[in-house]
Amino acid sequence: MKKLLGILSLLFVMFIMGCSSDGSTEGSEDESNFPEKDIEFVAPASPGGGWDGTARAMQKILTDEEVVDENINVVNKPGGSGEVGWQYLTSKDAHNITINSSLVITNNLLGQSELTYKDFTPLGVLTTEWISIAVPPESEYEEGSEVMEQLKKDPTSMKIGVAPGLGNNDHLSFIQAAKEYGVDVPKLEFQIYESGGDVVSALLGGHIDVASMSVSEAKEQHLAGKFKMIAVSSEERIEGLEEVPTWEEQGVDMVFPHWRGIMGPPDMTEEEIAYWDEKIEEMVETDAWKTLLKNNEWQSYYKDSQESKEFLQQQTENYEDLLNESGLTE
Amino acid sequence: MGVDFQNVIEGLLVSIQPINLLWVLIGGFLGTVVGMLPGLGPATAVAVLIPITFGMDPTSALILMAAIYYGAMYGGSRSSILLNTPGDGSAIAATFDGYPMSQKGQAGQALTLSAIASLIGGMFAIIGFILLAKPLATFALRFGPAEYFMLMIFTLSAIVSLSKGNMVKGFISMSVGLILSTVGIDLQTGVHRFTFDVPQLSEGIDFLVVIIGIYAVGEVLYNYLAIDSLKAEKKKVGNKWITKEQWKVSKWPMIRSGPLGFLIGVLPGAGGSIASMLSYTTERQLSKNPENFGKGAPEGLAAPESANNAASVGAFIPLLTMGIPGSGTTAVILGAVIMLGLRPGPLLFEDNPEMVWTLVNSMFIGNIMLVILNILLVGLLVRILDTPPKILYPLILVLAFIGTYTLSYSMVDFYILIIFGFIGLFMKLLKFPIAPLILAVIVGTDMEQNFRKSLVAHDNYLNIFFASSIATTLTILTILSVMYPFILGWIQKRRQKQA
Repeated sequence: MKKLLGILSLLFVMFIMGCSSDGSTEGSEDESNFPEKDIEFVAPASPGGGWDGTARAMQKILTDEEVVDENINVVNKPGGSGEVGWQYLTSKDAHNITINSSLVITNNLLGQSELTYKDFTPLGVLTTEWISIAVPPESEYEEGSEVMEQLKKDPTSMKIGVAPGLGNNDHLSFIQAAKEYGVDVPKLEFQIYESGGDVVSALLGGHIDVASMSVSEAKEQHLAGKFKMIAVSSEERIEGLEEVPTWEEQGVDMVFPHWRGIMGPPDMTEEEIAYWDEKIEEMVETDAWKTLLKNNEWQSYYKDSQESKEFLQQQTENYEDLLNESGLTE
Repeated sequence: MGVDFQNVIEGLLVSIQPINLLWVLIGGFLGTVVGMLPGLGPATAVAVLIPITFGMDPTSALILMAAIYYGAMYGGSRSSILLNTPGDGSAIAATFDGYPMSQKGQAGQALTLSAIASLIGGMFAIIGFILLAKPLATFALRFGPAEYFMLMIFTLSAIVSLSKGNMVKGFISMSVGLILSTVGIDLQTGVHRFTFDVPQLSEGIDFLVVIIGIYAVGEVLYNYLAIDSLKAEKKKVGNKWITKEQWKVSKWPMIRSGPLGFLIGVLPGAGGSIASMLSYTTERQLSKNPENFGKGAPEGLAAPESANNAASVGAFIPLLTMGIPGSGTTAVILGAVIMLGLRPGPLLFEDNPEMVWTLVNSMFIGNIMLVILNILLVGLLVRILDTPPKILYPLILVLAFIGTYTLSYSMVDFYILIIFGFIGLFMKLLKFPIAPLILAVIVGTDMEQNFRKSLVAHDNYLNIFFASSIATTLTILTILSVMYPFILGWIQKRRQKQA
């Protein structure tokens, strides 16, 4: 019995240590020597997801490459498509930063959140993925434009698979392309899957006719000839996928990034912003960062804090447009 | 579809390198431990370990993470058997007969039997993997929304028909579970349902919180009512080794459940919970003595244990042949290996066969290690039963709260946990079967989403039931499983009349 209790209490200690990476958050306003305590990365998702992976990889690179001298802790605050984590950040100081994506804008537009990017301090945009349109290999369509022409004739003639929710990048980029072609967007039949993997298997099994998903999810299948990528949302053709035309080449004036960035709590001082600008710029130059991007099929999309602000403003306008178009908002 | 056995042998040689053996052992042990603790499932364990795998060789990382996954299948049933508190969805079926066995003083035998059953299920699945990985992956793709919907209907109907003589209560329990599963954002429309502006609810109620609440907290509350009358009497834990009789009755159920669990594991979106439930109900219907089920029948424990471990091996097939994660845990594993620069996809078998076969061989070795490990642990684990309730139950409560916290690091889950603790208490007091509710929460969301997706695909909703040969088969099975108790009763009546 003693042994068992011993084991159990050991497990406890291990677990408590594992869970209590929550740095102290009381901070004085003495900005002259920022940062003065541990840094906290808020991953607004559970361990194991993309946001968590990005946060932990950044933690490792910033520490290993000695970009940041302070300890960095990652804390997970999943829930509400980022809402829980971001809500948490609003009450914190500049030692706490978080990862964001289009959701920080669309959650609000869809009426799911009170917060917008304006309630935070944008610190940078880091990466983007491009979004592709894919069809089964035996499909008669060779280009995205042909799919759109078909949908223009009959918007309900194809089942379109996207994940993991309405109003996300994969969905909106499809809507933008459809809109450019004059498709009756609200009539489109989207099937929403829980994850990109589910969309891939639905397309492989022939349960949907066309899918919109990030290039990284579709690339291996495309190269193996399991399905055909027929359009990408990037400016130029993608390395390793030179045969896939961009939307712009197909006459659609559209570049649609699926970006990820970082932001801090509201009301950061200029000094604090400058600190993060410097550190992030240093980080994106490291080889470790470049390897991370390559492994994940992400493209560098670096923008500093000032550029990010303008970028987020411009993205907000675009998303608002598309959501109105899709009929998801008033 | 021939298998290149040279690659298999090469994989074997890599997998018996000492460092890889060590990873299997560590992973298997960790998996067993997290599987035992309520709420700490393999997905959480793998996710927490991801930072450790940074910089590891991708093959070793894969071996380690896979070992955690199937190790948890071994561990998961420990607490089901000893304490009636499953650690994960796939361990629920082990409470049906495992806990009664332990109450009958056969705890040691139950633990050993479930470990052996896991081994047998795992071995079947590994052989199936080697011989059938690719054709099965193609078969799995034929499951579309209509087929998944029917599979889930079939599972639910099987579990309801299980509560024989109490079908109404079983049905109520299932309906409550289905209602609970509607909480959260509806994927197809983006509408928030029953979330009351609580952002933590927007992704629905985690079924693990429901399991921990109803089983662990509910069990504690239930026992609290009687804590003063409970004495820390020296309970009989029985022999560690199973008897010939037990082996005889559970031999075939184990062997049948291996392939069944394996097949269900291969389907992305099904998994261990469905596999173990279906194998339990199948064995009960095949049994000559179905009345023993639920009262500590060894075969009722062996079948689901064999099935869930086989399912965990099967879940690697879509991952390794197509790059599609077939379960929550394999999704986390996929994320982790991508970070390491490996992207499993349809070409993995061609480009990297030695890695796939190293993993498969490590599973083989890992399963053998785990059965030894788990049988060695039996002596230690049965002592839990000697623990005075006044120590044991507070300990379970603490574990329940820790397990819940690790799911989403949120206080909201604590309130949900406590609510379900009381729901569990009342269900026990009023003798409502618990499993239909839990299973409905597990499959409910997917079932509804698949139903709605298939409605879009088929103009007439009746077509869903006969959308394909798979859907038709499942429809017939569902009808049979609902009718089965009535047919059985009718036959018995006729026999009595004749006699």
